Amino acid sequence: MDALFVPLAVGCVVALASALGVVLARRPVYAAVFLLVHSLSLAALYGLLSAAIVAVGQVIIYSGAIVVLFLFVVTLLPSGGAETRATGGRIGAACVALAAVLVALAAALAAGALPTPPTTVGDLSVNAVGTTLFGSLLVAFELTAPLLLVAIVGAVVIWRRHEPRPRTTTTVKISEPRSLVMHR
Amino acid sequence: MNSEVLIVATSAGLFAIGGAGALLHRHPVSLLMAIEVMLNAANLLIVLGARVHGGADAEATALVVLVLAAAEAVIGLALALALFRRRAVPDVDQAAELRG
Repeated sequence: MDALFVPLAVGCVVALASALGVVLARRPVYAAVFLLVHSLSLAALYGLLSAAIVAVGQVIIYSGAIVVLFLFVVTLLPSGGAETRATGGRIGAACVALAAVLVALAAALAAGALPTPPTTVGDLSVNAVGTTLFGSLLVAFELTAPLLLVAIVGAVVIWRRHEPRPRTTTTVKISEPRSLVMHR
Repeated sequence: MNSEVLIVATSAGLFAIGGAGALLHRHPVSLLMAIEVMLNAANLLIVLGARVHGGADAEATALVVLVLAAAEAVIGLALALALFRRRAVPDVDQAAELRG
């Protein structure tokens, strides 16, 4: 796998830099564009790690659907999604969290044994992944369908709940059509 | 430094950056994007595990996680838009009430 070190390193650098862009961008539309670069770089990493089906899924689901959804929402925002400037307390909290998570993860990695390179590479073809998806992971896979349905219905309900009431609440009586009025 | 260490370190860095961004932002959409970065970091580790241990089930799990991320983004963005109905410049700190 070390023959792939240089392309993997390039992908990792792009992923990290674009993640920093997502977090540090002042306007949400720039952050969304950085998120697009980020997801594409991760798709490249997945491809290099011989996870072809996950790479394709990342491009279609993430770059194609989620990032576009973010862009739609940003364009719907009033004032282009301007944000109040972060206070010093928030910046401090973010720096502390960044350092703490990095130290904790580095300590955990140093304490535990890192994975040894594989002796026998298993079958990672699309065929094998599909067999697993419709075999041992069938319940989880089928449960994603109702999950997505509930998410769509929930999004519509959340959106409609806060809709302002229509101004005219009096019901308008519909008069009978003239032609139907019977004169005796 | 071999490739596995590189990927694990990248995943840890991405998770830390996403966590810091989630604390830094008050804008709900920016907050959601930081959370997406954290989710991507976890997914990268799952794919690395699939590669190292040669397990196709881990790759299938990564696909399911992608779908979960889509559902999470839909609900989160609907909540963000609901916040924007109240104020022009929303602050997630001010949405402190939960009312049915």
